[in-house]
Amino acid sequence: MLPSILSTLIFIICLALIFSERLNRTIAALAAAVMMVAVGMIFGFYTEEQAVSNIDFNTIGLLFGMMILVALLEPTGFFQYLAVMVGKLSRGEPVRLLLLFGTITTLVSMFLDNVTTVVLIAPVTILICEILGLSSQPYLMAEALLSDTGGVATLVGDPPNVLIGSAAGITFVDFLTHSLPIVIVVWLVALGMLRYIFRKELAQTPTNLDALAKLKPANVLKDAKTARKIILVTLGAVFFFLLEEVLHIRPALVALGAASVALVWIRPSIQETLKRIQWDVLVFFAALFVVIGGMQAAGVLQGLASLIAQVKDLPPVLLGLILLWIVAVLSAVVDNVPITIALIPVIQGLGSTGIPIAPLWWALVFGAGFGGNGTIIGSTANIVVASMSEKTQTPITPRVWNRSGLPVMLGTCLVASVLYVILFSFISQ
Amino acid sequence: MNISDCMKRNVISISANATVQMAAKTLISNHIGTLPIVDEEKRLIGLVRLRDLINLAMPDFVNLVDHIDFVTDFGAVENHKLDPDILFIPLTKIMKEPVSVDETSGLIRAAALFLDHQMSDLPVVDREAHLVGIASYVDIGLALMSNWDLTE
Repeated sequence: MLPSILSTLIFIICLALIFSERLNRTIAALAAAVMMVAVGMIFGFYTEEQAVSNIDFNTIGLLFGMMILVALLEPTGFFQYLAVMVGKLSRGEPVRLLLLFGTITTLVSMFLDNVTTVVLIAPVTILICEILGLSSQPYLMAEALLSDTGGVATLVGDPPNVLIGSAAGITFVDFLTHSLPIVIVVWLVALGMLRYIFRKELAQTPTNLDALAKLKPANVLKDAKTARKIILVTLGAVFFFLLEEVLHIRPALVALGAASVALVWIRPSIQETLKRIQWDVLVFFAALFVVIGGMQAAGVLQGLASLIAQVKDLPPVLLGLILLWIVAVLSAVVDNVPITIALIPVIQGLGSTGIPIAPLWWALVFGAGFGGNGTIIGSTANIVVASMSEKTQTPITPRVWNRSGLPVMLGTCLVASVLYVILFSFISQ
Repeated sequence: MNISDCMKRNVISISANATVQMAAKTLISNHIGTLPIVDEEKRLIGLVRLRDLINLAMPDFVNLVDHIDFVTDFGAVENHKLDPDILFIPLTKIMKEPVSVDETSGLIRAAALFLDHQMSDLPVVDREAHLVGIASYVDIGLALMSNWDLTE
């Protein structure tokens, strides 16, 4: 009993520190991981070997490979180029601007990191809005909310998907058949809601349309040749992701392979490239794997699973819906990565009691993905967009978020729930 | 040759309790780009540069974009009005740590400081940190080049 209590305590303190923003999440997780191993060794429930073997290489490798591609693409100016292009294409018409900015961030962040996409596209968005004399609020909100929503559609779109895919053996193709159709509907609903919520801002008349026409996208794209190479390699990676079941190669190998091909083809300064890797994210994941592995070794998660399994009579649909909403609400207030990593063994535990868990994985995917839209701190993209908008005259405050992001989160989760019920028999396969 | 041979000895400076408005007026009326800030005993305690004042007038979001060269026309941004409150910000709020050289300092050291800090004027102080002169990039650069053999 003591190991369970101690390991749970370490996990909860770690989450609390992250939530209170007293400590950076990576530092908190790293400290908790060391603590877990030390306590585990003293009380005999966890060893160093176990701790290391709990770090899921497939997740870390996939994230690392994709990060290298992004790190190579970032300095070419490709992201900003896209933003300027769609800005021009909109011809300054607010609703079209919303649609185009939303679409482009979604499409890019389905394959590449959400945060990088938003970090690079949002400043251009702000600038274009300011040139046109428009409030940047609706467009920035669309970028944060829609990129997070779109990320749910693919295996590589969002870190929780990578985790769940790796743990449950869900492939890139499974995501396209099971998640993408639902995400398309949910995405359209989110867009429609944004259109309605920001109807006042979107009715503003843009000024200086000729200034918009005079923007020179070619000046942003500093290295078109490199950008083209990386996009080709990324498309190649997607092609191999699709063939996972045929060729039996895990996504991590594909991503690392793509990264290697790109590195050999482009031959950049490797120090500069590696500097742009989000090491804090990788360390955060590795540390959390060790922490959660400790809880598992102490028997906490199995206990939790058997506790849930007592409500076996619950119809599976209802169990899935409950999971979806619990995860969504949790993801709105805390990081969805620790929640996902913690729930994976619980769901696996439920599976061993005979409960069909295929639909539960999708509930976890949707809850973790759509839930983050609920609050200004729900996802990194949200935080980035809000802090950038502080530099404008129409900052995105928590109040603005509560009247736009929160309803969108509730709306998308509701629509996802309805689709989940309707498509339940398909999702269960 | 050292810095005291090429510096200007008549330095226009401003006191620490001045405001942005007073600093701006001084810069304009003397057509200069750097104002050393001094205490009652003329000791150098800070610097305010044209760049710092212009930065106050620039909308914050402009700095979010790395390279601005794709924008040929800033449209509505050009019409942004300066917030009048900015003029009454005390200089102590925006002043920078002073970068200065001792009056006995050589020219290479002075030139290196210019390149390092991207400044346009370098205050010169005596041993007790009293402001005794100021040298511009042109002053120092030309003094350095006076050693070059340009007769060919």
